[in-house]
Amino acid sequence: MRDLYQRLALPPHATPQELQSAIAACQHSALKQDAEAVLAIPERREVYDSTHTTVSDIGRLRARLGLTHAAHWQGNVANDFSLPPDNAISRHDELVDRVSHAVTLYNRWWRFRGTWLFVATFGIGTCAGLAAGFALCMRLWAA
Amino acid sequence: MSIARFSPFELVLLQSRSQVDTATLLLLAWVLVNRQPITEGQRRRRLAQVTAPFRHGHDIDPVMEIAQRQDLQAIQLASEVLRKECSQERSLSIMHQAITLATDDGTLSLANHYILRFLADLLGVVPETLSTLFKELTGEALKAPEDISTEAYWKRHDPQYYERKAQEAAEKEQAQARAEEAERQQQAQHQEREQEKQRRRQEREEHAKAKRERAQQEKARRRQQKQQDSQQRQRDDQRHQQRHQHHEKRYQQYKPRPQSPPDRTSRALAVLGLTQGANRSDIRRAYRRMAQLHHPDRFFSESEQQVALASARFQRIKNAYDYLMQTYR
Repeated sequence: MRDLYQRLALPPHATPQELQSAIAACQHSALKQDAEAVLAIPERREVYDSTHTTVSDIGRLRARLGLTHAAHWQGNVANDFSLPPDNAISRHDELVDRVSHAVTLYNRWWRFRGTWLFVATFGIGTCAGLAAGFALCMRLWAA
Repeated sequence: MSIARFSPFELVLLQSRSQVDTATLLLLAWVLVNRQPITEGQRRRRLAQVTAPFRHGHDIDPVMEIAQRQDLQAIQLASEVLRKECSQERSLSIMHQAITLATDDGTLSLANHYILRFLADLLGVVPETLSTLFKELTGEALKAPEDISTEAYWKRHDPQYYERKAQEAAEKEQAQARAEEAERQQQAQHQEREQEKQRRRQEREEHAKAKRERAQQEKARRRQQKQQDSQQRQRDDQRHQQRHQHHEKRYQQYKPRPQSPPDRTSRALAVLGLTQGANRSDIRRAYRRMAQLHHPDRFFSESEQQVALASARFQRIKNAYDYLMQTYR
């Protein structure tokens, strides 16, 4: 299966008008004939588009997983649908990183839980004492 | 690094008792989603039936939903899990299940052709094993997927359309033939009238001609005298012009061609996994990396066929690199 859109230099969501003009301007007679038979007829284009989506998805997956030169990925499909590898990080590594980060935070909270509680209690106590002292002063001064 | 929210599949995977089972579940659901004429409920039941011995310990509905959306990131994550944690026997059994699910109704949909091959590459199942397995399970050989992008495919699968087209063309031709016949008759009548007119006109003209000829002979003699003088001058002018035209023609020949097709350079760059605009050091680095990955010596221990495949790949990469080094910038 070939990527007719790529070969006609069109985006896959091209409008019928763009498609018509691209087909008319195409110099390659065999490609022109195929594009007319497949893309110019709406029902066939629908079928082609759904397969095209799946195969480009697989092309993207293969690029990310490093399977662009594999035994089952040969010929026209491999030529037209292999993408250059993007620099996306491995999904699994990312998941592991995120989970371990969450675990570290959680562990840190548990380890220093006593200290944090003590600091918090002390702070609240000090605030309360200051407020009480201030209130007492005000009353004495008023009297 | 911030803890963003986990995606639905990540949550399912984290809650699962066996990550490999959950990942397999998603990939099998993906195969099922691409098998066309069955309903949601049938899919769900079939998946539950096949994955009964799995130990994932969660509901399969959320996985089914994710597969329905064809969530590429989830599928990538599942593939990575499988590749990391799957043993050889397990990968064969997964391949087995995938083939069973894809060919329940006897036919293999076009999308599943590609998905099964992707799974085989992912699980390290070589083409011979895959075709043997397929043959054992379905009783038919695994054919190459049909090429939907050619006219020949549609001529085979949609002959009614072409019949209709041919009929329309035939009708049009008949109508045209009838129209032509009518026109021809009209023309014949018209011609008869014209001929009559012309005969009369000729008679009149012959009288006038005789008179005019005599006068013209006199004039021509005088004109010849003048022309001989002017010819000498014209010859000089012509020589000038010819030289000028020659220059112009040559200039037109050497104009650059208006449009070059996506050329060999960009294809060679794509082979090395680069995009347009990479510089020479990028190319060299990409080449080293690809060469390390695909060097035939790495596959020495696996099989003859793997080595042959690897050396073909390596040759392709090396050709691309040589070409780029010769021509690029």
